[in-house]
Amino acid sequence: MTRIKLALALAVVALGVSVSAGLAATSSGTPGVTAKSITIGGTFPLTGPASLYSDIPKAENAYFQYVNAHGGVNGRKINFLIEDDAYNPAQTVPQTQKLVQQSKVFADYGSLGTAPTLSTRDYLNKLGVPQVLVATGDSYWGAQYKKYPWTIGFQPDYPGEGVIYGRFIRNKVPQAKIGVLIQDDAYGQNYYAGLLKGLGPAKSQIVDVEKYAATQTDVSQQVVKLKSSGANVFALFALPTQTIDALAVATHIGWKPVTFINNVSNNPLFLYLAQKSGADVQNDISTTYLYDIYNNPKSATTKLLASILNQYDKGWNQLDGNNIYGLASAWTMVQALKNAGNPPTRAGLMKALTNLNEVNPFLFTGIKMQTSAGERFPIEQESLEQYKGSTWVPFGRVYTKVK
Amino acid sequence: MRAPTALRFTVVGAVALAIALMPFVLSDYNRSQGARVAVFFIAILGLNIVTGYTGQISIGHGAFMALGGYTTAILTHSHGWSTLPTLPVAAAVGFGAGIVVGLPALRFHGVYLALTTFAVALAVPQLATNYSHFTGGVEGLPLPSHTGIWLYGLGWSVAAVMFVLSWLLLRGRTGRAFRAVRDSEVAAASSGVSLAVHKTLAFGVSAAIAAVAGSVYVLVNAFVNPDIFGLTLSLYILIGAVVGGLGSLWGVLVGACFVQLLPIGISNSHTVSAQSVPVIFGAMVILVMALLPRGAAEALFWATELPKRIRRVHSSSTPQRLEAQ
Repeated sequence: MTRIKLALALAVVALGVSVSAGLAATSSGTPGVTAKSITIGGTFPLTGPASLYSDIPKAENAYFQYVNAHGGVNGRKINFLIEDDAYNPAQTVPQTQKLVQQSKVFADYGSLGTAPTLSTRDYLNKLGVPQVLVATGDSYWGAQYKKYPWTIGFQPDYPGEGVIYGRFIRNKVPQAKIGVLIQDDAYGQNYYAGLLKGLGPAKSQIVDVEKYAATQTDVSQQVVKLKSSGANVFALFALPTQTIDALAVATHIGWKPVTFINNVSNNPLFLYLAQKSGADVQNDISTTYLYDIYNNPKSATTKLLASILNQYDKGWNQLDGNNIYGLASAWTMVQALKNAGNPPTRAGLMKALTNLNEVNPFLFTGIKMQTSAGERFPIEQESLEQYKGSTWVPFGRVYTKVK
Repeated sequence: MRAPTALRFTVVGAVALAIALMPFVLSDYNRSQGARVAVFFIAILGLNIVTGYTGQISIGHGAFMALGGYTTAILTHSHGWSTLPTLPVAAAVGFGAGIVVGLPALRFHGVYLALTTFAVALAVPQLATNYSHFTGGVEGLPLPSHTGIWLYGLGWSVAAVMFVLSWLLLRGRTGRAFRAVRDSEVAAASSGVSLAVHKTLAFGVSAAIAAVAGSVYVLVNAFVNPDIFGLTLSLYILIGAVVGGLGSLWGVLVGACFVQLLPIGISNSHTVSAQSVPVIFGAMVILVMALLPRGAAEALFWATELPKRIRRVHSSSTPQRLEAQ
């Protein structure tokens, strides 16, 4: 009978272990909100292929720390939980379930990447958990709000950015012969559709469109083809790695068209890397919507930004524009939390985010964040910028997305 | 021989009882974690049949999970099926796909076969991306959401059924034939074991079980898109099978807990940065390989065998026969 005793002992041990694991904290009222704190969380690629973006949650957390040190939001301190999903939806789903079911977050905030965020959109909307200010420029977040009312994006969408390039080429580059390089997926198509829309009748001036698969990092063949097509305008809608490669190859084969680099790949850090691989990026054109710290090193905003990051995100890289992105996004979240009621509610947060009318200090000067119940793109304005010397220099006016 | 077998059944019974009682004390989130362990349990069980028992390495079992997952998702989402009847269909789809992938196994061995299965793991999610009108593409398909207790109950009931079926299959004539193929193809063939039949059958059964794991997986996620069946999934199944012990069913639970709970445990401890979690996990895998090359099954074997041997040494001086596992 010792065997049965052993079995019983095992079962008792197993039960004991599981009891201790199962003692979850109970909460009342709105999840994640107490008299002293608001708990929010998001999923980010701290490891894996997209870990270049891991500076974003760090900068966001720095801003929340700064706000907490100055009294928090209506007396509540923001507790920001950062979960690593390695840019892999298979990990985004359980990490998000953990945030919602175990950590009981008030909202899923700032989660990064199109595929990861798409994977949790149904789950969060079913439970009525706000999925807010997601860090991706696809148009799903703003466009599909009827089906997914708890989801909202942040940055300008890709088609809108494509339109700006198209209109600029049509108006300012009269003899344009346009060569396009796009990633062969929804991301590339989004940009290309915007470009066509912006070009209007001038789309007949497109002489060649080359595509590459997202997993392909060498795009030299495509660049060579674009050059031989006789193009004098190069619209480059790629991811950072391929953009750096394309810029270097173009210079090596002696091709210097009027080059447009999409916003996703225009981080000053990437341009620096491209130049290190021999690319001539002078006078290349892109867009921006973030505050320009590079040409305003002495401004109050730059000083505030630097003091926050110096204090709460030590070792931040000045060249990395993601830090400004993080502050701009966190600023928006704090503003929305302030307007989400006292104590804040989830419905109140969505209401605040769909009634934005704010000038965000960490966004490009002149941009206004505006949303309404039926207009769910927080940032719809961008400025063109040109690479001069060792930095981007904004020029012209602020463009507003064409509806 | 009898004593350790009985002891084993007692241990299995106790573990089964513990698993059955666990959800009553777990939080809802931890129940869904428990269901994820069941998903890996089923998938590792499936891989073990083809890799552990028949000696054919597959690093593409995530693809079979994807087939099962999409079967369940498409039938429930687009054709209004209820959840449970989709599982046998997923198994059938997986079985068919396994047979097809098993055909090259008749020609390819070792690393060449492994690369063939790797190619399948790469291709299947891409196909799901391309045929988006059918699969929802990268935007994916939603599935009905269930409570943690429902998922836990489903996951472990399916795991229990799969475990018993596998055990019955492997202990009899077919299992012997699988092992004969693994140990020496020439010897197996000359003893009248058909290599073609048993190799493809092993692949079919293995893939069918993995497909069922995929069905449970998408139900736990309440969502399916191609990205959740990435390559790391296939590799985690393989790691789990090796940690559990290839060629033995008794360590599968340990393998499933290792790949599902260990990384979470490391990151929940909050003593290390997120960047160190994969490094520590990798180091643990190497450690297990070095100390227990035959996995948890080996540890379990010695745990049940040692008392018996000590008793034998004490009771008689007759030389003992080393039993083959």
